[in-house]
Amino acid sequence: MRDVETRPKRYERLIVLALLLASLPLILGFFLLVLSSFSTEMVTNLDPGSFHPTLENWINLFQGKIATTGGIRVNIWRITLNTLVVALGVAGVVTGVSALAGYSLSRIDFRGRKTMMVLLLVLHAFPGVALIVGVYLLYRLTFPQNYEVVGLYSFAYVILARAALEIPMSIWLMKGFFDTIPWEFEWSGIIDGASRITVWRKIMLPLIKPGILAVALFAFLAGWQDIIYVRTFLVYPTLATFIEANIEAEYSHMPLIAAAGTFYLLPTIIFFITAQQLLLQGYSGGIKG
Amino acid sequence: MARGKLRDLSFFLSPMVLMVFLFYLVPLIMTVYISMTRMRNWNVDRYLTEFVGFYNYERLFYMFQHDPTFKAVILTTLVFVGITLMINVFGGLALALATFFINERPASSYRLLWLLPRMSPIAVYSLVWYYFFHGSEIGTLNSILMSLGAISEPIPWGQVTPWGAWSVIIFVNGLVGVSFGMIVFTSALNQIPRELVIAARVDGASSWQISRRILIPMIKWHLLYVLTWQFLSLLTTYPHLFLLVQWDLVNRDYGTTLALYVFNTAFGRGEQDQGLAAAAAVILSIIGILGGFVTLKVLKFERMMKRPRGDF
Repeated sequence: MRDVETRPKRYERLIVLALLLASLPLILGFFLLVLSSFSTEMVTNLDPGSFHPTLENWINLFQGKIATTGGIRVNIWRITLNTLVVALGVAGVVTGVSALAGYSLSRIDFRGRKTMMVLLLVLHAFPGVALIVGVYLLYRLTFPQNYEVVGLYSFAYVILARAALEIPMSIWLMKGFFDTIPWEFEWSGIIDGASRITVWRKIMLPLIKPGILAVALFAFLAGWQDIIYVRTFLVYPTLATFIEANIEAEYSHMPLIAAAGTFYLLPTIIFFITAQQLLLQGYSGGIKG
Repeated sequence: MARGKLRDLSFFLSPMVLMVFLFYLVPLIMTVYISMTRMRNWNVDRYLTEFVGFYNYERLFYMFQHDPTFKAVILTTLVFVGITLMINVFGGLALALATFFINERPASSYRLLWLLPRMSPIAVYSLVWYYFFHGSEIGTLNSILMSLGAISEPIPWGQVTPWGAWSVIIFVNGLVGVSFGMIVFTSALNQIPRELVIAARVDGASSWQISRRILIPMIKWHLLYVLTWQFLSLLTTYPHLFLLVQWDLVNRDYGTTLALYVFNTAFGRGEQDQGLAAAAAVILSIIGILGGFVTLKVLKFERMMKRPRGDF
């Protein structure tokens, strides 16, 4: 309903067709990857003869047999759990920090508020690569001597470091959601004698549930898809580093890696189907690129 | 400031301040410091206190003049940023306009489809293009062109320097960036009063004329915004290029931008030279910070920041 009803219909099919043509590599690439995961050999050269349907890749993947020969095994569920922990951790930290800061930037007038908002925008434009060298030095300097806590430490560190990258834009997003809530809700609470913190917790948070959901979703996807931070800081493998390592490995059975890739893609596809509107509206504030 | 307000503010803002302090401010200072040490192979105990002043910056300048590998990196950065930026801005504009003129149903499906590169895990996305541009006959592009008879032998696309490697990295990263422009422009187009489009239609204007004379002039601010924002992003992002180079799909020298060069020099295979990497990172940061402030000034972001209406 953006253009009007009187528009000529004859070009419409042409535009749809042109868009389809432009999207073809994208569709083809992802389609072939998913198809290969159900085949005994990779289907990449559009040769129908190379497609032999099988579920073996998926069964082997879930059993952790990454090579057809030899005894190389990985626990794919453990790797998935690692990925999930990072993604959920990033989502939690980002949502919490931005729900707090977004409220105060939207609702409280204080000196330095404007500066803070400008600074956040500049931080978002700030090169992540310039930070990672320093972030790694901090990681090394605070690395625990006690061997038992190394795993926990690396999880906590990768979550915080990755969340920090998402925070500037998430605060802006969250501030935008707070801005849409009428002031009357807040006033009524304060007249009843509640403090700002109580108002935030009891009145505002329930009102911006869609905003919280959106920010959490984007932060989750950011943590889920990350490869640079997990391979630099995390001492355990995730799905991303698993795929990275197995592309070059001599022993890997590529259709199985395609299955791992498709498996890794699943949350994205689920969000694709369930949260379309949210994604279209909110993704402008996501990662760079 | 009243005591109650101060308490409230520290409650709301301290997590953010802590995060920014720990993961932006401290690392930035550390990066500047490392750039003035001889730090290598992350041998913190040995090199952290070995201060060498501007030696690493001099090395960078020397490499810029004499090292063909580093020259390739700089050239790649310039070409990559320039062309990808154009693709992102005008591709995004084309997508937004095209979906503006068709029915809502196909339009939103296409918009969603073009979000896929941005949403999918980087490793999976890279895997897709790894097979698409693969240099042997298993590569999808090679097999299509061979069956069409356009080429007789598979072409190792990413190893053809410089333009083969450049095309691959521009294509792969361009697709990620297009959706940003598409979304910004789409929301801008939706805010244009419908009466303007209706009036033009009644006067018999074509879609092309409506785009040129009405829609594009009205979203000028957004064009500028996407242009400057994507420029900064492209200058400093590297994750989508990282695996392409790592997997040898593209040539190492002509597939590496300065941002990726920083990462690979600090964390890559072989001898790592954090001092040099940090020096390059500092230069990138200076460009980034300057660019960020120029963006703010040009786009007059401050005007958008109104005071909260009913604070007391």
